[in-house]
Amino acid sequence: MLLELIQGTEGGGLIIIQDSINYSGRHLLMSFINAALKRDEVVHLLAFELHEEDLKHELDHSCFQRLTFHNAFQDPLGWNEQPPFTVHQFITKELDSLLTPTHLSKPVTLVIDSFSWILRHLSPPSVCKTLQRLKKGGAVKTTLGLLHSDMHHRNMVGSICHLATSVVTLVPGHQCHEAVAKTIRRAKSGTISQAEERFSFNEDMSVKVQSQPIQVGAPQTDAGDAEVDPTANLTFNLRLSHQERKAKEKLALPFVFSKEKKSALLHSGPGSGRILYEPDANDDYDQEDPDDDLDI
Amino acid sequence: MAAPMKSVGSSFNATSFQKKTRSKLISIPGTRPSVQNGQLIVSTGVTSLDYLIGGGLAVGTVLLIEEDRYNSYSHMVLKYFMAEGVLCGHELFLASAQDHPDDILQELPAPILDDIASHSPLEGRMQLGGQHASQDAMKIAWRYQNLPKVQTALASSSRFGHYYDISKKMEPEIRQAANCYAFYLPEHPTESSATRSPLIESYSALLQSIQEVIRKGGFDGAAPPSKSRNVLRIGLQSLGSTLWGDDLCCRDNPAHGHALTTFLYGLRALLRSSLSMAVLTIPSHLIQNRAVMGNIIRLCDNAIALESFKGSDRETNPLYKDYHGLLHVRQVPRLNCLLTELPDHKDLAFKLKRKQFTIERLHLPPDLSETVSRVSRGELAGAAAVGTTCGTSSNKHLDF
Amino acid sequence: MFAELNAILNTSPDSFKQGEFILVSDRRADASFLVHHFLSFYLRAGCKVCFLGLAQSFSHYNAVSQRLGVSLTQAKEKGQLLFLEGLKESLDVLLGRTSDTGSRALDFLRDPAVGLRCLYEFVQASVSDSGDGGEGGGGPPVLLVDDLTVLLSLGVSVGSVLDFSHYCHATVCSQLKGNMVMLVRCEGEEDEDEDGDEEGSERLLKGLTHQCSLTLHVQGLPTGFCRDIHGQVEVCWRKTQKDKPPNQKKLFQYKVHDKGASFFARGTSSAVL
Repeated sequence: MLLELIQGTEGGGLIIIQDSINYSGRHLLMSFINAALKRDEVVHLLAFELHEEDLKHELDHSCFQRLTFHNAFQDPLGWNEQPPFTVHQFITKELDSLLTPTHLSKPVTLVIDSFSWILRHLSPPSVCKTLQRLKKGGAVKTTLGLLHSDMHHRNMVGSICHLATSVVTLVPGHQCHEAVAKTIRRAKSGTISQAEERFSFNEDMSVKVQSQPIQVGAPQTDAGDAEVDPTANLTFNLRLSHQERKAKEKLALPFVFSKEKKSALLHSGPGSGRILYEPDANDDYDQEDPDDDLDI
Repeated sequence: MAAPMKSVGSSFNATSFQKKTRSKLISIPGTRPSVQNGQLIVSTGVTSLDYLIGGGLAVGTVLLIEEDRYNSYSHMVLKYFMAEGVLCGHELFLASAQDHPDDILQELPAPILDDIASHSPLEGRMQLGGQHASQDAMKIAWRYQNLPKVQTALASSSRFGHYYDISKKMEPEIRQAANCYAFYLPEHPTESSATRSPLIESYSALLQSIQEVIRKGGFDGAAPPSKSRNVLRIGLQSLGSTLWGDDLCCRDNPAHGHALTTFLYGLRALLRSSLSMAVLTIPSHLIQNRAVMGNIIRLCDNAIALESFKGSDRETNPLYKDYHGLLHVRQVPRLNCLLTELPDHKDLAFKLKRKQFTIERLHLPPDLSETVSRVSRGELAGAAAVGTTCGTSSNKHLDF
Repeated sequence: MFAELNAILNTSPDSFKQGEFILVSDRRADASFLVHHFLSFYLRAGCKVCFLGLAQSFSHYNAVSQRLGVSLTQAKEKGQLLFLEGLKESLDVLLGRTSDTGSRALDFLRDPAVGLRCLYEFVQASVSDSGDGGEGGGGPPVLLVDDLTVLLSLGVSVGSVLDFSHYCHATVCSQLKGNMVMLVRCEGEEDEDEDGDEEGSERLLKGLTHQCSLTLHVQGLPTGFCRDIHGQVEVCWRKTQKDKPPNQKKLFQYKVHDKGASFFARGTSSAVL
C-alpha cells in the first residue's frame, strides 16, 4: 500500500508521514517527492527544516526544474532582513499566491517539511483550517507533510491526522536498514484500509517493500515481536518441518515400552506379590516433613 | 575557585609540574589546596563529608543538601559548616526565612578544642606505641598483623577541620569573635519589581545582599589583593520553601518554576568570581516536579541528599540499626578538571553521634546471634537491595 | 581532544565534515567532557570558534583545556576564540544593574518570554565577521554551546530554545558551512509518557534530535555505578552518509581520565579483561 501511495494512484488528499526521533521520515518524504517529479507533476516544497543544498544531494537532477523550493528554513520568524518565507505566512491567502503562478495543466503537489514549526508558532485551529482548505482542492492536488509526532501534544497530532486522507507512521525495523510503515488510508467512499509493511531504500531513493506484507489484525507476530524473539538467529533448529515431524514420530525411543509390554506389566499375572502397610499409633509420621530431620 | 586560579592558570604552561606555582596562592587560615587538583578548599565541619566531596568544599562552589523529612540532620550539617567558619576565623553570611539567623548561630555546637591542641605532638607517639603493642599481641594470628585496619567511616589520612560536641553550645566569646552577616527575610524590605525577570523579590533581595557583602568585605576576586584576605561562608536555609514566597513546593506546575534556578545561577556567578562558598538546604521531598529538581541539582556543584529513617519503616529494620539515615550523592564537583575522584561506592549511610557526624559505607551488621533463622536473613538482604538502589539500580543484567 | 573518539567518528582536525550539527546529551552521567573535546578539537583545526559558556566560568574551561593541551587565553588573544561567559554577563542583568559595557546577548534574562533573538544576533555577529582577520580565518566557523539546559533553568521556554538552535543551524551550518555542537542534559529517568507537550529538557532533546545530524548520547551504566567504566555513549548518525543508510547507531563505553578519555566496545574495559 505504501507503494501505491507513493505512486499516487489513489490521487489527491492530505498525506501525513509521522516519524519520531527513532526513525526520521525525511528519506521517505524524498522518495515521495522524487516519485511525484517523475510523474511530471509540479512540486512545491515548503521547507522549514531542510536546506536547499541538502535537497540537491537527494533528488534527481533531471526533474529539478519542476520543483519550486520555498525557503522557510533560512528565516522562519523574520529575525533577519527580508525573510523569504515565515511561519506566519502559512495562511490560505499567502499560500494561494505562492501556488497560483504555475502551469495550470499539471497537478500540483505541496510538500511541507515539517509541521513542527507551524504547530509551534500558530494556533492549532488556524493550522487545521488552512490544511482543510488545501485539501478541499483548488490549485493543490496532493498535500504531503512530515510530522514529528513525539514533539507535540498527542491531541494536536490527533487533530492533524484526523484531517488526513492517509497517515503513514514510521517505526524502525529490527534490521538497521529497514523500517516499518503503518499506513492507514481513508478512501472517498469511506472504507478504511490499513497495512503494515517493512521497507528499505534502493540506491536511487526509491522504496523497496519487503516481499511479505505484514497482515494487519493478525495476532502479534509483527516486527515488534520478532525483534525480541530469541529464537530468530539460532544455530540449531527449534521448529520442525512437516517431514521432520513425521520422521520423528516414526522413531521409537529406547526405554519406551511397547503397548504389549506395558499391558503385560500392568496386568500382573498370578504369583506376584504386593506390600500392604497400615500405619499404627507408634508410627510417628509427619506429613509436613517426611524425612523428619530437615529444618525448613 | 575562580579568581586565584586565573592568575595561576596563565603562569603555568601545559606541563604536569604545577606544584611549585601553587605555593604562590594566597594562604588563608582554614583553607588549603586540594590534593587532587590544587583547588583551594575549606572544611565543611564534617570530616567524612569533606572526604566524600573530594577533600573539602572548593572555594567558589555550592554544596546542596537535600533536607531529610524533618530537617534535623540537614540543619545540623549547616550548623557544622557555620561553626567551622567561626573556628577558622572566616566571615559568615547566614540567610533564612524561618528562624532568625542569630538564633541559629546561638545554637552552634561547641568545638572539642583540646583535641586539636594536643593533636600533632601526641599523635606520633601514640601511633608508635600502638604499633608496638599490636606487634606483641599478634602471636597466633600473626599473618593478619600487616593488614590495614578496616575502617568503614569515610576519612582522609590527614585531619582537616574540627570535631564538635553537639550536646554543648559554642561559647559566646568564640562565637562573637566571628563576623557574621545575617539575612532574615521577614526583617528585610523587599520591593516588588516591575521587571518580568524570572527572579522573585525575595531571591532578588537575597542575591543583592550577598553581592553587597562580597563587594564590601573585599571577597571579590577582582579586588586588589590586600594583606589579609579572608573567605566568606554563606549558609542558606530551606531555599525554595513557601516561606521564601516560592510555590515550588506546593504545586506541580509552579508559577515561579524558574525563580530558584535563576537565583542559583546568579549565586554561582557571584561565587565563581569571589572568595566564598555556600551551603544550602532545600526541602526536595516537597518538590514534586522532578525536572525542576534536576535543574536545581545541576546548578549546584555538589549535591547530597539525606534520607532519615525517622518516621519511615526503615527505622525498625534491624539492618539499619547502626545508622540514622541514608546518604545519596547526587552530584560530585567537576571544576577546573575533567575528572573527579569518585567515592568507591555510593551505598552510604550516616549517623549522628554526640561528638561526630559520620558518613559510612553501608554494610550489614554482624550476625552475632546463634539462633538466627535463615528466612529472616534472606528478607534482610532483600530489604538491603531495595534500600541501596542508588548504587546498583538493577541486577537484571550485567554490562560485562 | 580524544583520539579514540576521533577514530570512532572518523574525523581529525585536518579533515572533518563541514556543516554538521552535533548534539551531545546526557542522562544520569556528565557529558561535559565531550564539550571540552570538541572545543580543543576545533581550536586545533584552526576554526574560528564561538563558545557560549553558560554553565561554567572561563577559568574552568581554560583550566581543562590546559590539560588537553590547548590554551584558551592565547586563542582568545589571537581572535580565534570568541567566548561568551554567561555567568559573568548575567550577573549585571540579574542584579538589575544597567551597564553599557556588556553585550545585549543575555537580554532575555529581563523577560524570558521574548525569546532568544538577542542571543542569536550575538552568535550571528560573532561567526560571520571572520573577514576581519585573526589567525583563525582559515577554517569554517564553529559554534559550541554548554549547555542549553541552563537556558531552560533561566525561564526560557523549550520552543524559544528550539527557535534559537534552528537559526544557529541555518546560519552556521548551512549558510557558512561551519559546525555546531550543543549540549543538553536530561533528568534521571526517561519518562515513557508519550506526552509531547511537557516543558523540559526531554522535549528539548527530542526537538534537537530532529534538527541535528549526529548525536552523542551519554548515559550512566544501566547496571549502576562503576569505578572503571563511567558510562556509555551511543553514537547515532542521523543523516545519510556516503555508503551507509541513515540512523546508524553504535554503542561504546567510556572512562574519563585526568587528561583525556578512553572509549571501548562494550565489555572490553581493561578493568574486566
